[in-house]
Amino acid sequence: MAGFQVWLVSALASVKPVARLMHTHWGWPAAESLHFIGLSLLVGCIGSFDLRLLGVGKRIPIAALHELIPWGLIGFAINVVTGLLFLMTEPDQYIYNPSFHFKLLFIAIAGLNASAFYLTLYRRTTAPGAPDDAPRAAKIVAATSLCLWIAVIVSGRLLTFYRPGPCGPEGPGVLAECIPRVRRF
Amino acid sequence: MHTFFVWLESTGFSIWVRESPSLLAFPAILCLHTIGMGIVAGINGAIGLRILGVGSAVPLAEMKRFLPAMWFGFWLNAASGVALLIAYPTKALTNPVFYLKLGLIATAVLLARSIERTTSRIDDPAAGPLAGRVKILAAASLASWAGAITSGRLLAYTYTRLMS
Repeated sequence: MAGFQVWLVSALASVKPVARLMHTHWGWPAAESLHFIGLSLLVGCIGSFDLRLLGVGKRIPIAALHELIPWGLIGFAINVVTGLLFLMTEPDQYIYNPSFHFKLLFIAIAGLNASAFYLTLYRRTTAPGAPDDAPRAAKIVAATSLCLWIAVIVSGRLLTFYRPGPCGPEGPGVLAECIPRVRRF
Repeated sequence: MHTFFVWLESTGFSIWVRESPSLLAFPAILCLHTIGMGIVAGINGAIGLRILGVGSAVPLAEMKRFLPAMWFGFWLNAASGVALLIAYPTKALTNPVFYLKLGLIATAVLLARSIERTTSRIDDPAAGPLAGRVKILAAASLASWAGAITSGRLLAYTYTRLMS
């Protein structure tokens, strides 16, 4: 894994124009602002839908409110793009950062959680004449989604407090959480 | 003002937020501020999108059910924001961008209340005679929250004095 991380850092760093753009006066702050706007869009649209499944606003048809979800996904897409800009500019600050590992893990679980919803519950909850009260399984998925997105925000916000330093003489572990000594090309 | 900043920065709470190595001090407050931002801006954004035509089968008046969560996010951010302000009063209060952020939040809150009043009176004002007016309010609300978030983010880049 550590070898893969080293390769990934050099691959991400090789896209020079991104780093040049991000190092301009406005690059980094503008990308951060967009990242926070994307976050709000995601939380507002996906979080509202989760709250509805949990029982908030039962007079709103679940299928109708689901039309907000594509906008939540637009927020997610904004954050993937801006996130890649950060990643390609300072790859070692993310790839070796334990908080970033957790952030990716939480995003992956949120994706699996949402997939589970669409594969097993989406039709039942959005079919015409579906009951106002979502089934218990859908409530569990919704509560899990809310917790995971909060965990994604927390691990993203904590990145700066877990910045990796150079590895000690013992070297990186299986998953590097420090910057390994490698030759710079 | 200088002596007030010096005094505030010397209080126990200010020092704790700023200097405590605990994750429960500055990092946790920052996390709460970001979660609250997502809730308050996000729910207002969802309501704004609904008014602008997304999910038109959603009864607009029923979107008010999300307002308690929205206000929870707002007060979470008011409280965590005050804590961050006590930690770094000079940094924020000597920066014009901070007042821009407060102004945008005040505008956004007034717009949210105006939208709430308009949408609670009628089943679907977005389709009625108020359509134009309420859509302008919704677009202004989205712009204000995006502006508040951006100006908040810029605080880290635009301050000229960290402490008194």
